[in-house]
Amino acid sequence: MKINLRVFCSLKLSIFILLSFLLTWGTPLVSQERFRRSPPYPEPLPELNLPDIESTTLSNGLSLSVVRRENLPAISLRLIILAGESSSPKSLPSLATITANMLNKGALNLSSSEIEEAIESIGGNFSSSIYPDYSIFSFSFLEDYLDDALEILSRMILQPTFPKQEIRNVERSMFYDLVMKSTDPEFLARRLFFQILFRDHPYKNMAYNEDIIKKIDQKNILSFFNKFYIPNNAKLVLTGNLNLQTASKKVSSYLQSWKKKDLEYRFIPPPDPLEELKICFVDLPQAKDATIYMGNIIFPITDVDFFPFLILNQVLGGTPNSRLFMNLRESKGYAYHAFSELEFFKSCGIFIVKARVRPEVSYASIIEILKEIEKITKEKIPSYEIEQAKSYLIGNFPLKIETIDKLSSKISEIQACNLGEKHWNKYLENIKFINSDTVSKIEKKHPLLSPVVIIIGNKNIIDYLGGFEKLEVYNRKGIYQYNISRGENK
Amino acid sequence: MSKRRSCFISLIMILFLGSSSAIAQQKKDLPFPVTQFILRNGLQVILSEDYSLPLVSIVIAYHVGSINEKPGKIGLAYLMENLMFQGSKNIGQMQHINFIHRIGGELNATTTEDKTMFYQTVPSNQLALVLWLESDRMKSLEIFTSKVERAKVALIEEIRHRKTSDHYLESSLYFDRLLFPDFAYNHPVIGDEADLREITIGDVKKFYSTYYTPNNAVLCISGNIDKRKTIQLIRRYFEKIPQGKKTPPLALPEVLETKSTNITIENSLASSPAFRLGYRICSPYTEDYYALSILEYVLLRGQTSRLYRRLIKKDRIALDLSGGIEKKFDLAAFKIFVINNNEILKERSQKAIFSEINKIKSNLISEKELIKSKNMFKMDYIKQFETSLNKAIFLTEGFLTRKSLDDIPEDLDRFLSITRYDVTRIINKYLGEEKILINIKIK
Repeated sequence: MKINLRVFCSLKLSIFILLSFLLTWGTPLVSQERFRRSPPYPEPLPELNLPDIESTTLSNGLSLSVVRRENLPAISLRLIILAGESSSPKSLPSLATITANMLNKGALNLSSSEIEEAIESIGGNFSSSIYPDYSIFSFSFLEDYLDDALEILSRMILQPTFPKQEIRNVERSMFYDLVMKSTDPEFLARRLFFQILFRDHPYKNMAYNEDIIKKIDQKNILSFFNKFYIPNNAKLVLTGNLNLQTASKKVSSYLQSWKKKDLEYRFIPPPDPLEELKICFVDLPQAKDATIYMGNIIFPITDVDFFPFLILNQVLGGTPNSRLFMNLRESKGYAYHAFSELEFFKSCGIFIVKARVRPEVSYASIIEILKEIEKITKEKIPSYEIEQAKSYLIGNFPLKIETIDKLSSKISEIQACNLGEKHWNKYLENIKFINSDTVSKIEKKHPLLSPVVIIIGNKNIIDYLGGFEKLEVYNRKGIYQYNISRGENK
Repeated sequence: MSKRRSCFISLIMILFLGSSSAIAQQKKDLPFPVTQFILRNGLQVILSEDYSLPLVSIVIAYHVGSINEKPGKIGLAYLMENLMFQGSKNIGQMQHINFIHRIGGELNATTTEDKTMFYQTVPSNQLALVLWLESDRMKSLEIFTSKVERAKVALIEEIRHRKTSDHYLESSLYFDRLLFPDFAYNHPVIGDEADLREITIGDVKKFYSTYYTPNNAVLCISGNIDKRKTIQLIRRYFEKIPQGKKTPPLALPEVLETKSTNITIENSLASSPAFRLGYRICSPYTEDYYALSILEYVLLRGQTSRLYRRLIKKDRIALDLSGGIEKKFDLAAFKIFVINNNEILKERSQKAIFSEINKIKSNLISEKELIKSKNMFKMDYIKQFETSLNKAIFLTEGFLTRKSLDDIPEDLDRFLSITRYDVTRIINKYLGEEKILINIKIK
């Protein structure tokens, strides 16, 4: 009998295929499915369609921007006043903050509690945030109440009364808030960081302590308000289910009597970065760990190096997968956490490393952080790390604009700093083009190597910091106390 | 051979069902699309598409929490949540977290009385990665003694940390023991140090195999998804996970002996005196619950609420005021917590609270105040589905609490149709003489 070999082979093959199919798919108990062994490949990423920022300038000079977001029946409003703490007089830091905090504390024929009532009646929430270059008022409410919201806002801006009793209340609450925060190591570290880094620069105003608060009176507030709270020094951003045409009609009708005034343009020059490593210590008796806060001044956000630097920072300390965390926590076991971040103002940016470490290894941790900084500034970063950093930044970006409040904040930042498309529609594209070479070509890396280092902890830590040439000791209010040089006991 | 054939047939059936009857109808009444279906192994699936951003959120909830713990095993549910990050057959220890971080995603987990939820939001092209991760730990979590012991140490450390950082924690645990009826409801989710030490690897394995099964879980995916592809992926990763046994039924809550309590305890950690006031209220989502929720806003929410205005703003007798409705599966309580400067102000605060409650009992609140409270409520309510993650949590919780999503579309209207009369009726019915009051004295 002749056997048709080809048929037999193909039969054998199909039985084999069927069997292996049944084995892999039909009987999971025998062996696991193959696809479980390794992570699946991602699909192509769908495009991120960002809403347009539609803008116009009203006749009184008020700039208005509208961003459409339809998924929530609420509106998020941001009023940006282009004056922040750097506009407070040198002798009265905190004036910008107190003025902003007073805005919702009384208007003509409207007490502070009536304003609160009016805001909450429309499902609203009102708050203020003060930055070095600008102050932002955030007001979100149910979308049916845009008119009511604009009415409340216009009364606060056009007819504020700054009642003396309310000033006392605001000052008392700011005072106690600062006193409470003086046991928070992160807060103390940041405040001293600003104070030392910005020396004579107007940004130093951000570092005020509770002693200054009570020196500010109604006259100071009025003069600050009259000078800076003018439409040609303000921007309004509205996010929600609305368009520019309707919005500008409504905003005009409520805010047209807000009168334009001359305001002298004030250029704030960029501060110089620190040239030498500086180590500062603050004693916080109840602190169990050492909090490290270190960094220096870098270029402003508009610089060409911004995007490559973003990647560099991400590789260094953006996430728990980054170098600082992997080294200080996972490998050495020194730290509870160690991250780096960038912050930008109009005149400059700052680079910060934040870590919380075991006291006995605070010196070793700082040395290790400096080593990582040196390595990243001097050696070329391998491509896989660059790609990982990019995929994080690209993947994470939509999460930063997911809610109308987050979206509003992002747009406000773009508008307040006049950043334009580069930081909005072109943002992801700018990241995609970065590679190992572009990062290694960053020219302005030198300030990273000579940071100011703030250490907050129990004073016993000083014994562990003997390796440094000089240690400057400050109290919790940021007032200089004494120096300790190497080999000296205190 | 016959076994293999039956496997083959069931595979064909799965493929066939996949395109037709297993998928239920769309629910049109919610402000977003929802598709619901159930896999053959009992896994409940909820999908909701939203194309506004290239993101997807994946929530997987196991219907198990501290309520399912036996006496002597307090903390087992929370320990289990922690162990879910310690690696499974194909995924190394802590790798789950690393995978999500690397792609710019965010993740977290939470354990409550009745559920343990794991959630992550990632770029939408990475959906398969998350399903791979989640299905692996549902199918084949690797539980070793060393991992269990390490997780126990970490949890004990967390309990100690919470006790030192939250100076009023002890009083809060005591409060729950008085307010809620029995062990199942009134022991802490975070765990108990002595119990945790005694928990064995056997306890953990049994807990995992009993409760971490597809038929005791809900998978909700919300965001930028292609529904057809998503269903295929879900089937690929989850359908073959064997169904578990039916979970043991919960005992009904005991009827409470103590109706009212007024006691004083001493606290050595706290620097200021305080008190906790609690009322037992109806089950969540029963008829009276809607009016109680609006009452919560009238009394406690926002800076213009009755109690905030009176205690903090007008009389200035309290340092801090917090509270509201707390749900524990099918039970709920109305809680108020106040911190004062001294004992005299504490007494005055209590009197002020009762006087404010009595005012609402005997006088209707104004229409204006009702609208304000409802608008604030509405704002908080709609924010529950603002992001893909919030929406997924909202749908998952809704399903677990009510066993279906059918009632949810009418939910908001039920809250918003409450009248001034309802508020008065409800405060008279629930915030009466039967109350639990704990005075916290500083040592």
